[in-house]
Amino acid sequence: MSGSPAIVARDLVKEFVVSHSGANSLKTTILWFRRARVETLRVLDGVSFDIARGTCVAVIGKNGAGKSTLLALLAKVYRPTSGVIRAEGRIAPLLELGAGFHPDLTGLENVFFNGVILGLSRKEISRRIDRIVEFSEIGSSIDAPVRTYSSGMLARLGFAVAVHMDAEILLVDEVLSVGDLQFERKCIRRIEEFRESGGTIFFVSHHLDTVRKVADRCIWLKDGRIEADGDPAEVTALYEDRMGR
Amino acid sequence: MVAELKELWRFRELLWTMVEREIRIRYKNSVGGFLWSLINPLVTVLVMTVVFKYLVGNQTENFAAYILAAYLPYMFFQFAVMDAAQSILVSLPLLRKIYFPREILPLAIILSNFIHFVLALAVFFAYLLAVYLIHPGVWPFQITTLWLPVLLVVNLALAAGVGLAVAALNTFYEDVKYIVGVILYLMFFLSPIMYFSENVRYSSALQGPMGDLVYRLYHLNPIAALATAYRKVLLAPQAVYVEGRKVPPLPMDWGNFAVVSLICFAVLVGGYALFNRLKWRFVERP
Repeated sequence: MSGSPAIVARDLVKEFVVSHSGANSLKTTILWFRRARVETLRVLDGVSFDIARGTCVAVIGKNGAGKSTLLALLAKVYRPTSGVIRAEGRIAPLLELGAGFHPDLTGLENVFFNGVILGLSRKEISRRIDRIVEFSEIGSSIDAPVRTYSSGMLARLGFAVAVHMDAEILLVDEVLSVGDLQFERKCIRRIEEFRESGGTIFFVSHHLDTVRKVADRCIWLKDGRIEADGDPAEVTALYEDRMGR
Repeated sequence: MVAELKELWRFRELLWTMVEREIRIRYKNSVGGFLWSLINPLVTVLVMTVVFKYLVGNQTENFAAYILAAYLPYMFFQFAVMDAAQSILVSLPLLRKIYFPREILPLAIILSNFIHFVLALAVFFAYLLAVYLIHPGVWPFQITTLWLPVLLVVNLALAAGVGLAVAALNTFYEDVKYIVGVILYLMFFLSPIMYFSENVRYSSALQGPMGDLVYRLYHLNPIAALATAYRKVLLAPQAVYVEGRKVPPLPMDWGNFAVVSLICFAVLVGGYALFNRLKWRFVERP
């Protein structure tokens, strides 16, 4: 453990307001105001952990256990209801299937746009652009509008941008199924390189095999609480055992 | 709000990139590009000129220029607000994935509309020059045009304030954009765009102290005040026919304009504050 932890979470609580009427218009709000049935759903209920730099952490758990919410809190998409979550350094979320790409712009224009959203300056992107294009294996199509791309190409380009951000923390939400086997290997190699250079990875997965292969630490979330936290082999075994598999 | 502004400044490059992206997208798929978006105001002005000059019998000289001078700013305001209204909703999938100051989305749309408006003004000046070359008469450009940047800043502040508020509210209640659409339509007729402010001032229905008060209130509406200001600043004073009488043009009322400017900046601060209050809940919208 070198220096301060990369990610710190303390008593993290996140509640969502669930409305059954789906109040989406003024009319429903006004009409239903008196009997608005507002329920709060506690998705994360007091989660605490420290993650050291250079660790690859896997989060497992059933659907609705709060995995994606945790990732979103880390990406600063949500604000916690209470508690803190803090990350040191630049965070690069792997956007699924090029979320944030505009269909009418070319691949190259989208790379710039995506890079700037992720917090790079244009100059920094210019310096990386050749490597990004080469990594994505898009070739000359980089100058075509991305609406002409296949879903595999989109995913590859999105991945290429994210891994060239030189971020300190990489957030991965059940991706890596981004194309053919060869590209997947390349991604995994790239992630290994990222770790060797001291980067922290935080990923959510349902593939326990991947978790065992890749992660150094595994957090099992159950109903918004940490059920188990530790060695991936042990935690996944416990998980499988409890799930009756 | 200071913290929010600092954060916005930190992300300024994203803002410029988004503005550039908006402009690119707008002109990407059409050959005519920018020219197409000028067709609407030009056709409107053409129709208005024909209707007013030949059917209604309005004798105001170069009426089209006076309409354009007020109509282009109104169009900017309308498009900026209506486009901003949708800006958060259409980007929700992105917002759910990644952090950046949310106000960048509506601001980028408002700024790209603003750039567009400035280009349209350039065309407006070209139009003035063309009319002058075809019908040489009085030199059409005024020294008061130097005030234009001040008007533009006030106008932008108003559009940004209203745009931010509408964008935030429309994310939760999609009725907002329809309500705003109706209000904008009313504003169009409640502002001196298709007529002159002198028409209101000298209207026989609005005389006496009551009429003065109505005129005062009428010109506290920022859109009305801006429409008048653009005309007074960009074009030569123009005698107007009110109910058959020719009345002298009123001078530019800078006192009123100062008050309206304050209102516009208050709207900007208020709109931004409202946006900041709501912005963390966008992604949690039901």
